[in-house]
This record gives sequence, C-alpha cells and structure tokens, in this order.
Amino acid sequence: MTRILLDGRGISPEDIWAVAHGAQTALCPEAEQRMQRNHQEWMDLGAPDVLAGKEAWLLGSTHAQRAPNPERLRAFVESHCAGVGKSLPTVWVRALMAARANVLAGAHSGCRPDSVHMLIEMLNHRIHPVVPRLGSVGAAGDLAPLAHVARVVFRLGGEAEVNGEILSAIEAMEPLSEFSPTSKEALSFINGATLSSALAAIACVRAEKLLASSETILAMTMEAVLAQSGCIDESALQARGQAGGIGVARRLSAMLKDSEMVRPDRQADAFSIRCAPSVLGAAHDSLSHVKQVVTQELNGACDNPLILNGKLIETGNFHGAPIGLVMDQLKTTMTQVATLSERRTFRMTHGDLSGRLPSFLVDDTGTNSGFMLAQYTAASLASECKGLAMPASVDSIPTGQHHEDHVSMAPIAARSCLRILDALAEILGIEALCAAQALDFRIEGAHFDADGKKQIGPSLRPSKSVQVSHETVRKVSAQWTIDRVLHLEIQACAKLLRNGDLLPQTSPW
Amino acid sequence: MTALDIDGSNLTLKALAEVARSGREVRLAPAALAGMKRSEAWVQKAAAGELLNESGNPRAIYGINTGFGSLARLTIPQESLTDLQRNLIRSHAAGVGEPAPRDVSRAMVLLRANALAKGASGCRPALVERLTAILNAGCDPVVPSQGSCGSSGDLAPLAHLGLLLCHLDEDPDRETGEAWFGDEKLFGREALRRAGIQTLPLGPKEGLALTNGAQLSTAYAALALYDAQKLIRLGEIAAAMSIEALRGVTRAFHPAVHALRPYKGAQSCAANLLQLLEGSELTDTVPGKVQDAYSLRCTPQIVGSARDALSHVHEQLLVELNAATDNPVICMDVDDDIKAYSAGLFHGEPVGMASDYLRIAISEVANLSERRLYRLLTANLSANLPASLAHSGPGLGLMGLQTTAAALVSENKSLGWSSSLDSIPTCEDQEDHVAMSTTAARRAAEVVSNASYVIQIELLAASRALKWRLGEDASLQLGKGTRVAMEILADLHDDLAAPSDALKSLPDLLDGVLAAVEECCPDLQALGSFK
Repeated sequence: MTRILLDGRGISPEDIWAVAHGAQTALCPEAEQRMQRNHQEWMDLGAPDVLAGKEAWLLGSTHAQRAPNPERLRAFVESHCAGVGKSLPTVWVRALMAARANVLAGAHSGCRPDSVHMLIEMLNHRIHPVVPRLGSVGAAGDLAPLAHVARVVFRLGGEAEVNGEILSAIEAMEPLSEFSPTSKEALSFINGATLSSALAAIACVRAEKLLASSETILAMTMEAVLAQSGCIDESALQARGQAGGIGVARRLSAMLKDSEMVRPDRQADAFSIRCAPSVLGAAHDSLSHVKQVVTQELNGACDNPLILNGKLIETGNFHGAPIGLVMDQLKTTMTQVATLSERRTFRMTHGDLSGRLPSFLVDDTGTNSGFMLAQYTAASLASECKGLAMPASVDSIPTGQHHEDHVSMAPIAARSCLRILDALAEILGIEALCAAQALDFRIEGAHFDADGKKQIGPSLRPSKSVQVSHETVRKVSAQWTIDRVLHLEIQACAKLLRNGDLLPQTSPW
Repeated sequence: MTALDIDGSNLTLKALAEVARSGREVRLAPAALAGMKRSEAWVQKAAAGELLNESGNPRAIYGINTGFGSLARLTIPQESLTDLQRNLIRSHAAGVGEPAPRDVSRAMVLLRANALAKGASGCRPALVERLTAILNAGCDPVVPSQGSCGSSGDLAPLAHLGLLLCHLDEDPDRETGEAWFGDEKLFGREALRRAGIQTLPLGPKEGLALTNGAQLSTAYAALALYDAQKLIRLGEIAAAMSIEALRGVTRAFHPAVHALRPYKGAQSCAANLLQLLEGSELTDTVPGKVQDAYSLRCTPQIVGSARDALSHVHEQLLVELNAATDNPVICMDVDDDIKAYSAGLFHGEPVGMASDYLRIAISEVANLSERRLYRLLTANLSANLPASLAHSGPGLGLMGLQTTAAALVSENKSLGWSSSLDSIPTCEDQEDHVAMSTTAARRAAEVVSNASYVIQIELLAASRALKWRLGEDASLQLGKGTRVAMEILADLHDDLAAPSDALKSLPDLLDGVLAAVEECCPDLQALGSFK
C-alpha cells in the first residue's frame, strides 16, 4: 500500500479515504520544516498561554487564573469530552485523525512537528481513540470528538481500540513515546470542524464512485428497456451547455455504441431514462463543487488562534459552515441519483412499462414473485434518503454562554450524507440486479404478449461494455428462475457497488 | 413474572416491553384456540378447492390460491400452493441495512403472534406456538431494519422471520435466515437447533399470514413510546430541578390558571411540577420577580402537549397491538359463504402517523430541556449560578454538555421530515400508496434516544446547580420531589472530569430516581403504562 505524505497543502479526499482504510502515513519533510519555523514564531511571541485566554473569554478572568498550567490543560481537554452515543467506526476515526494531522501540518497553528508525528504514529500502529458519535455542532469546530482523540493522545484518560480490543489510553499508547503538549497544541488539537471535513472526504470518494457506477447501470437499464438513443446524443447536451450532462452523454454513447437494443428509431423514453444525462450531469457538477470545497477545507488553516507572520490572530476559521453547506448539497444531489434509479427499477419490474418484459422479471409469475420486493426495498430506501436529505445546516442553536451564538451543524450533515450513500449503494445494486435479469430476456429474444405468454423472437446482443457489467452481476447473482432469498442477492450487488466493481471500464478508478 | 397469555385482544404496552426486554414468557391463550381453528378449517377448505364459484370452479381467494400483490390476477394451481407460500417468504426477504435492535425484533415476533392469535388469519395454532417458542427460548430473528415501506405491512422484515421458522432441510445455511441465540448471531438453522425448536413447513395462506402487517413499524413505535413515557416523567423531574435551581416562579403552574385552558396534559404537568417543588425555599422567593422565561414558565404548555400527543399515540398503538393486520381476513361470523375479505388492514399508516407525532412531541420536550440547560449554564441567565457551573476545579464545567445537547436537538430536527408524508408507488401501481411507517417509527426511536441524552444532561446540570445552592446555604429546603432526586444524584459531581464519564453512570440511577420520587409524591399524574 502507498504511504500518504501529509503536507498541509495538497491532500485530497482520496488521500484521507486511503488512510481511513488503512494506508500508512507520514509527515512531509518540507511541512516538518515549515511547522518548526511556525512553532518558533509562537515561541518568539512568548509562548502565550492560549488556554488561559480561552477560559477568560468563556468564563471570565478570575476563573482563568484559578489553575496552574498542567492541571488547566488536563481540565480543558477533559471538559470538552462531552460526546454521547455509540462510538464512531474505526474508518471514521482514522479519517478524523489524518485530517486533523494535516491541518496541523499546514504550519499555521504554532504546533511542533511532534504533535503531528503522534497522530501519524497512532495511525500507523492502528491505535484508534474511542470517539462517541453524537454531540458536536461543528463550530468552534468539532470540539467534543477531537477532545476524545486528544485525551488519548495526551494520555489523560479515555479509551482506544487496538486490534479490535478496547484498551485504556495508557495501555493503548504504551508502544509510543510520550508527548507532552504545549497549551497551544492542546487547543489546536480540538479547534476546527475536522470530523465534518474528514467525513466529507469519505463522502466525496464514495459519492464519486457511486455516481460513476450509476452510469454503468444506466447503460444496462437503457438496453433492458430498449431505450431510444436521442437522450444520450452529446450534441443535444452540448446545446444546453451543461458540463456534467455532456460528460454523461459522451460516456453513455461510448458504452452503448455497439448496442442492438438502444437505437434512434424508437419512441422517446420516460424521464427516468430520457432525463438521466441531465440529472446525473447536474449531480456531477454539484459533486465537483462539493469536492473542491472539501479539498480546500482539508488543507485549510481550520484552527484558532493562528500564528501568521509572527503574529497571533484570533479568527473564526474553525467554523464548519463551508462543510455543512456542501454536505447538505451532496445529500440532495445523491438523493436525486437515488430517486432516479428507483423509478427505473419500478419500470423494469412493471409489466406494462418495461417493453414487454414479464411482471417482476420472472418467467413463472404467480407462484413466483420475482423482483417485486426488490422495488419495494428501493422505494423504501429512496424515501428514507429524502428524509435524511433535510438540511442540517439551516439550524443553529446558541452555545457557549452566548459566545458561540451561531453554529454550523456540519457533522450532522456529513453523517446523514454517509447514511444516504449507504442506501444509494443498495438502491443501485437493486437496479443492477433487475437490469441484468431483464437483459437475460433480451438476449434470449423473449418478450411477453398481453396475456403474459412468452414469445421468442430474435436474440438481441448488448454492447460490449454492458456485456461486461452483465457478467459482473452474474458472477455474484445467477439468473432468477424460481424465487430465492432476495436479500442475499441485493447484498451481493450492493457489495459490487461499494467495491467499485461496476465502475465504467474506462474510469480512472 | 407470570407468563403472558396472548389472545389477540389484551396485549398492553407494558407487557410488550416485558417480553421484549425482560424475557417474560409467552403462551398462546387456550381461549384463542377455538377461533383460530375455525378460520383455519375454512382456509383448508378453500385451499382444497372445495369452495366453488358461480361457474362451479374452485373459487379464487387472494393469497390462498392466487399470486400476490398485482399478481392476484393469476390463479395458482392446487399442486403449487406449497411452493407459493415458500416462494413468498424467500422472495420477500429483501431487507437491507443494520439489524433492528434485539428488543425490537422480539417485539415484532410477539406482535405477529398476537395478531395471528386473533383468529382472523386462518393459520394453525402451531404457527403461533412456534413464534412463542422462539421468544421463550431467546432465539431472536436478525431482522434488517431498512427496506420496508410498511404497506402491505412490513413484508420484508417479517419474511426474514419466516426464513428462520420455515426453511427446509435442503436449504443451504445462508438461506435459513439468521438469529441471535445467547450472545451469538447464528444462521437460522443452527440457532433453532441449539434452541431445540423444529421448523414448520408452511400451510396454505400461512406465508401471507406471517408477513402481512406493519409489525416491525409497531415494534419500533411501541418501544419508543414506552421509553418516551418514562422520559416525560424524568423530564418533569429535571424541569422541576432546573426551575428550582434557577429560582423560578411557580405561580405559572397554579391549577386555577390551567383550569382556564384545560388541556389535560398541561394540567397534569403543572400539577406534577407543583408537587415536585412543594415546600421548596428556592422557588417564589426572589423579591420582585414576577415571571420566568418560557423554557421554565411554559413547561406545562410544551411538555403537556407532548403528554397529550403521547396519549393519542398510545391509544392508536393499543389498537394496533391487538389488531388483525392480515389480508385477506377471515370473518367467520359473517353470514356469507365467502368468509375471506380482501381489505387493507396491513397498511402501516396509523402507526406511521402516530410515530411522526411521537417524534415531534419528544423533539419538543428535548428542545425545551436544552433551553433550560442553556440558562443553567449561562451566567447572565442563571440567577447567579457560577458560569457553566465551573465552580470547582479548573476546566469549563458543563459547557461542553450544553453543546452536546444543542447538537442532539438539532439532530432531531434534521431527522424531522415526517416519513409518513411520503409515498412511492410500488408493485406495478397496485400498491400505489404506501405508509413509510417503518422509517417513521425507526426515526421516532432515534429521536427518543437522542432526547433521553438531553434529559440526562439536564438532570446532571440541574443537580450540580442545586448542589451549589446547597453549598451556599446548607439549611435550604428543597421541594418534596426534587429533594429525593437530589439524594440520589448529588454524588455524581464529586469527581467531575470528562462530562461524558459522568453521563455514563447516570442511566443506572434513573429508575431509582423515578421510584424514589414517585414514592414520596404519590399524587403525581399518571402517564401511559406507568402508575
């Protein structure tokens, strides 16, 4: 596996995804030097006690004078450990640690390189702090989740998962050398909406894969329902000028160029087919904006105060609004992809809408229900996506004694987005399952008359590209003749989606 | 606990919770047998082709000798009737996502058993006895939580139960469903073997009888309601403690006031607050203070509305708990040869709407609690409590927990779309309006869980605030109920480091708090299954 170099400048969502899924990581040497110099700037400012400053701001100056330094640092971190609920999955915790390490590597926080080395060592040794899932408003960043990480890094308490076992922080951290944070480092570990951006990075990678795969599946469905090819005519999409749509049309045309089923001399199709390039194109355009913002945020100075040009600047760069907005946007975007796919599944399973395929795509309907329930499941999931797509970032609740009087709710948006993407993999898997089954009838030359009687005509051959996708599905799910346990087949196809096995053959993946 | 007899008419929320969570034993009530056998005999006759239509051919009865859903147009030959039921279970087991929690799965099994015990489904008593057997053995089906539209019931989730009960010897392990037994998750076959329970090949209509009804929705909704009823009672104690710590004015709760706008819930809530605060020297003693902020003063209006909502939800769910939800239903007492009535009793709408109402009610209880919490922790709003209750030791006190509460109530809002508003046509447009009750109920459960953290956080903060007040003046008398709660909660604050740690020990104290408070305030107004 490649090693991801954190430099605070050029990290992509894919890099975060890779570390999250187990890649080793290291601090880029140039970034290390920049950090060293930036730390020196903080020292030259007299190593200001930012924690005392923060406490004075939040609770008044008499409070801030109460405790000596090490005790204050411990209390500061611990009192931010306020998360509740089930623990975050390991993959998310790794993404969070890598993303925060990269923010610190950006050399705007006055932290020593050792602070980043600590997080990197933990990632490479697979020491993962236990972080509760709920309880962050994403401004002054994801304080609670990050504090649960910092508590373990600084060996103040808490727990960590190592090889599937939950250990105390002290036990878990045993293999690593001690790290004693400065007050600035303690604050910089927790100040920024980095859980939000880390989850957003994972969401971008997953959304991109699913969106690309949805085109492969669309090609299968277009053949299955004997679609008209006008809707993927690149010149038509050019005439509208929608960049994403042009790309979809071009790729679909390429995938279907040798198809015997998708032809110009047919009736125009329903919107779930005909408008797919426009809808998926809009999704591409949206996702590309989302990804740009997320990438910027992963490499941004999402901390406070910043040490810049020899000065300490109090600012609001920790606020999660940029991520909250784009995660809400991505939720809407991917929900459209989901609802579009569900309607195509509906068409394929509907005897009157599928182009003379049997009801529920099975020969002996009646005794068999075929893919009836596959469409129910897709409909239920699509509906669930709609609910989850309700924006989180429209809300704000004052916190922190009126000081933190507008917050982003970005982590809620990001988590809902990942839930939508979970459902989308299942929805697209169901479409692939139905399309593969429908294609079997076309290849056989079968169609069904008004009485549901099977008639055999000439066999139709799918395009080479669709043939490959069809075989991919058939490797995990055989043609349906007698009713089987459906969820096993849905599971298998959703897995194809998650693994990227249905990405376009020409895709950069 | 004595065994619970089920007959399709007498199941309560409390009994459901006892079976789902405390392993209470379940039996098919002997009194239910006669009704079940009557309808079963009729179904057997119909399946044997002995009921004839006008042309003298065996009459088509939905689901007995026809296809399902839009395939009802197809008549199924006699020799395929066994396959019909088996195929139904296999092709309908189409759930996805994380398994439903185990208590929800158990509640679903019990609800299905009770619905069948009603005797309107035409299934054998043996099928119900298998369901009670797996409940009593703790052999609980693993049921995927997603993918059901709740109409025609929770087909997919219930079909997963069907895989477990009705698989054949020749089926590969992975096609026998899954179940928990002890702490292990096993293939259905192995789980049944360990539990010593036989499978039951399905008779006519039995696949349909097992799957047709919104029992997963109802299981989620009923347990969420049960927890919500407890939460409101705890929420009133938390509110009373906050009102006391904030030195509130209790005149807003006077019965004369609430007689003028006599909502039952508001009257109950106001009366409870007065009892809990009876004798307190902290309330009504700030000179010149005439009224409080809404999060205190309007507690009866908001929590009371939630009480009323919960009463309605309870009423609806009690119907559903004891309903036949099958299609067709067999109405033996109708004077008509055709006893099977195709209807829509499976439709999850009543449960979906009730779940959405429950979700809104509990979201509001939590919203109000969060605002009281904010006052407790914010210096210029708290009647001179120390800022963030950070009075002892360094650190930010409970400031972080208010952020957590804000995040939780905001999360509830983003889960706030009413799932029952949505419908997507299914089954070739035959099932062209569906309930989405399963999603609605699952969301309600999620919101109740989030809200319970919020109330716990308020209890933690209010007790810390009261402890500080007592520290200032040890001779202060607290209210009749709040004093008892404080005796249990005061120790939480001795060693406050990470607030998340303090919260971990709190859930274990809650039942004790409720019991102690309700013992010393015997006139507290009842809510749902409690007292």
